[in-house]
Amino acid sequence: MVERRLVWLAGIVLIWGGAIFGKLVALQVVHHQEYVTKARARQEEVVELRAQRGAILDRTGHPLAMSVPTESVFVDPLKVPSLELDSDLLAHELHLDPAELYRRIRTAHDNHRGFLWVKRGITPQEAEDVRSLKLEWIHVDTGSERHYPNATLAAHVLGGVDFAEKGNGGIEKALDTQLHGAPGEARILTDVRRRGIDELVSTEAHAGASITLTIDERLQFVAEREIAAAVKLHEATSGSVVVMKPYDGQILAMASYPPYDPNQPPESESDVAARSNHAMGVPFEPGSCFKVITLSAALETTKLRPDTPINCHGGVLVLPGRIIHDSHAGFGFLPMDMVLAHSSNIGAIEIGRTVGRAAMYDYVRRFGFGQKTGVPLPGESKGRLRAIPQWGTTSLESISMGQEVSVTTLQLARAVSVVANGGLLVKPRLVLKQGDQTLPIEPPVRAIKPETAITMRQMMEGVVLVGTGKEARLEGYTSGGKTGSAQIFDFATRHYTHTYNGSFMGFAPVTNPAVVVVVTLNGTRGNGGFGGVVAAPVFKVVATEALRILDVPKDLPDDPPSKTLLAASQVLDDVSIADLGSGQPNILEDRDDEEPVAPQADGFVGPVAPAAPVAQGPAAGTVPNFKGMTLRAVLMEAAAKGIPVQPDGSGVARVQNPPPGSVWHQGERIRVQFAR
Amino acid sequence: MATQPAFLTRTETPARIAVPAVRLDSARAERDPFQLRALPHEDVFFYCKKIDNSRLVREADPRAGSACWKVIGAAGLVLALFTGVLAPRVANTVAGYKLEALRVEAQTLADERRTLELEEAQRLSPERLDKLAQGQNLVTPTASQVVHLENKGEGKVAMVKK
Repeated sequence: MVERRLVWLAGIVLIWGGAIFGKLVALQVVHHQEYVTKARARQEEVVELRAQRGAILDRTGHPLAMSVPTESVFVDPLKVPSLELDSDLLAHELHLDPAELYRRIRTAHDNHRGFLWVKRGITPQEAEDVRSLKLEWIHVDTGSERHYPNATLAAHVLGGVDFAEKGNGGIEKALDTQLHGAPGEARILTDVRRRGIDELVSTEAHAGASITLTIDERLQFVAEREIAAAVKLHEATSGSVVVMKPYDGQILAMASYPPYDPNQPPESESDVAARSNHAMGVPFEPGSCFKVITLSAALETTKLRPDTPINCHGGVLVLPGRIIHDSHAGFGFLPMDMVLAHSSNIGAIEIGRTVGRAAMYDYVRRFGFGQKTGVPLPGESKGRLRAIPQWGTTSLESISMGQEVSVTTLQLARAVSVVANGGLLVKPRLVLKQGDQTLPIEPPVRAIKPETAITMRQMMEGVVLVGTGKEARLEGYTSGGKTGSAQIFDFATRHYTHTYNGSFMGFAPVTNPAVVVVVTLNGTRGNGGFGGVVAAPVFKVVATEALRILDVPKDLPDDPPSKTLLAASQVLDDVSIADLGSGQPNILEDRDDEEPVAPQADGFVGPVAPAAPVAQGPAAGTVPNFKGMTLRAVLMEAAAKGIPVQPDGSGVARVQNPPPGSVWHQGERIRVQFAR
Repeated sequence: MATQPAFLTRTETPARIAVPAVRLDSARAERDPFQLRALPHEDVFFYCKKIDNSRLVREADPRAGSACWKVIGAAGLVLALFTGVLAPRVANTVAGYKLEALRVEAQTLADERRTLELEEAQRLSPERLDKLAQGQNLVTPTASQVVHLENKGEGKVAMVKK
C-alpha cells in the first residue's frame, strides 16, 4: 500500500514538473521572440541623437552663427484634467500670464487640437520644475535654436533659418546640407522608473560641419557702419560695400544697407525688402566706373596709349537721337589718362568707338560682366549685358560710358581686381574652410595683359590724385580708383532722373594692391550725390581700416607733400588740375543727359561753347569754426556758405586747416579732421 | 529506536491462556461452552517502563560530521557560483546607471558650454566693443598713428603680407 502511494506521489510530481517544463519551453522557445519584443517595448526607449548644426565662423574663428540647445514645453490640451487649475499651475512654473495661457489651452481644447506649444526656449530651472510635476499631458521637448550673436553683422551673407533650422537664405541656405548634419539613433535600456541603464547607439549622429568664411568681422563692422552713415547722410535709399583681396578673391566684407537682424523673423514688407543683398543681388548701371573697362580694351586692342590725345569735342557730342554732355568745363583734347581722371563721357565714347563693338563686348565679358561670379549665395544677379545683335545704334557709346549695362557691386569688385592683380579674373570666394578642410582656390583666368593692368593702375591713381576721386586719397598709402555717378532711369516716365547711383571702386596700395574696395550708394540726389562725394569717403575709411587690419606696410610718408613740391612734379595740360590741400572743388561728376534731340530747321544741333575753367579766386571771407560739430553739421554749414570741405575720419570735428578765423580764398578747400 | 511491539505483528488472537499442561490420563478435557473467547490483545498490558538514560552518552557519528561539512561546503560553493554569476550582472547594471547619469551630465555640460560660448560671442561683438570703446573715449587710430614695427627702408615698395 505504501508503494502504491509512493507511486501516485511520484506520478503527480512528474506530471506537475512536466507541466512546468512544458510552460518553460513554451515561454522561452516557442514565444521567445514575442516576449523579447514586448520586453524591449517596455524596457527600451529609442531616442534620437541630435545632430548639432554647424557653426558659421569668420576668418579669425569668431562665431557669426551658432546653434544652442533649447527646451520647449508643449501640452496635449485634450488630456488636461482641469483646464483652469492646470493652466494656472503651468503658468506659475513657466512664469507666464495664467489668463492668457488658459485662453490658449481652452481655444485649442475647443478646437480638438492635441498639441499646443506653451513656451519655447525655457530655462534649465523651468525645465526641471516642469519635469518634476510628472504630469502626462505636459511634455518637454529638447531642440536646437539658431543664434546670431552679432545681430545685424553680415546678416545678408549669413541669411537665416526657419523654425526647423533649415536654411532659408544666404550661406545658411546655400550650404544647408553641409551645415545640417545627420541625426543618429540610440536604444536606451531603462528600468521601471525610466532611468537609463545601458545605451546602444544604432546610428551615430554626425554633427554639421562648421563653415569658416573669408569675412573679417572687424572689417565687416566698419563697412556696415560707414555705408549706413553714408546712406543716412546723403539720404540714399540703399547702399553696399564689397572688400576683396584681389589675388585670391577672398571677400573680406560684404555689407548691404538696409540691414536686418536674422534673430528676428520679418514682420513687415520692409523687413522682407531689407533682406535683399544689394551687393550681389541688385544690379545697377555703373556709369563712369565702366570707363576702366573701356580704356583697358583700348590699351589692348588699339594703338591708344595713356598720353594719346582724345578729342572731347568741347564737352558736347551729338549722337543719333541723343546729345551727350560733359558736365565739367568743356574739354578739348585730353590725354587718355586724363579722360579717365576727369571722367569725360565724350572722351570715353571716342575711345569706345576706336575699340569697336566686337572688342568692347569681348572685354566686357572678360572682366566678368553679364555672368554670375559663382559666389555661394542664393539670389545672385548676373547683371545685364545684351548680345551684340541686340545693340542699338548708340549702344557702343552708351556702354563705353557705363550705360545700357547693369552690374552688381560684387562684379565691379571682381573687375577692379583684374586691374589690381595684374590682369587675372579671379573667382570671388566666401568660404575659407569647411570643417577643418581648406577649400582649394580655383585658378584664375587671364583677362588682360600684366602691362595693361599696370598702366591702368597708374591711370586710376591719377583719378585719386588729380581727378574726381580726391576724397578717396589715403594717408600713408597710394590708392587708385574710379568714381561713377549713373543717373537712375525711371521706367514709368521713360526718362533718366536726377537721382544717382554713386559709386567708387578702388584699390590700395597702387604698387602691390592688397585690397579692393567698391562702394555704391543708390538713390542719391543732386550735385552732392555723385560718386566722388558720397562713395569715395566711404572707400577711404574702409580701405584705411582694411590696410590696418591686414598689416600692410605704408608706401607713403604720413605727411602729405607740400603744394610746391606737388605742383612742380605735375604735368600741365589744358585743364585745371587740383593739387593736394587746396584743389578745385569737385563740383561735378560724370553725368550724361539723355535729352531728346530738339529738331531745328536744318536738323543740326551745334556744339555748346566750353565753359571757362575754375581757378583759385580772391579772398572771400574768413574760415568758420567747425570744432565740435558733427560731420553732417559741418557739411551742411559748409554747403550753405559755399565752402568746399575735405572731411577725414568720423565723429566730431577736432582739427581744421586752415584754422578758424583765417582768410578763406575762393576755391580753397578746408580740411577737417574728425574723431570720436 | 524502540522495537516494534510484538503485538503489532501479531495477527491472531492469542490462544486461550494455557494452564500448566498437566497431562491427564483422562481424555482431552472438554471446552466449556460458556467460556468467552479472549478479546484481542486482552493479554496485553501497557505500563510505563522507566528507563534511566542519564548515563547514556550519544556516541559521535564521524560520518555525520563530515557529511554536514560536505553539505555546508556544497551550499557555499553553490552560493559562490550563484553570486559569481549574478554579481557581474548587478555590477553591470549599477555601472550602467552611473554611466547613463554621466552621459546625461556630459550632455548637459556640453549644452551649457555652447550657451556660454554664445554669450561670449555676444559680449565680444564688434558693435558692443565699439560702444564700450566710445564710452572709454577711445578712438580708431588714424593712419598717421599706426606704426608698423617691421623695419622697412625708405623707398621700398609696399609689400603685401599674407
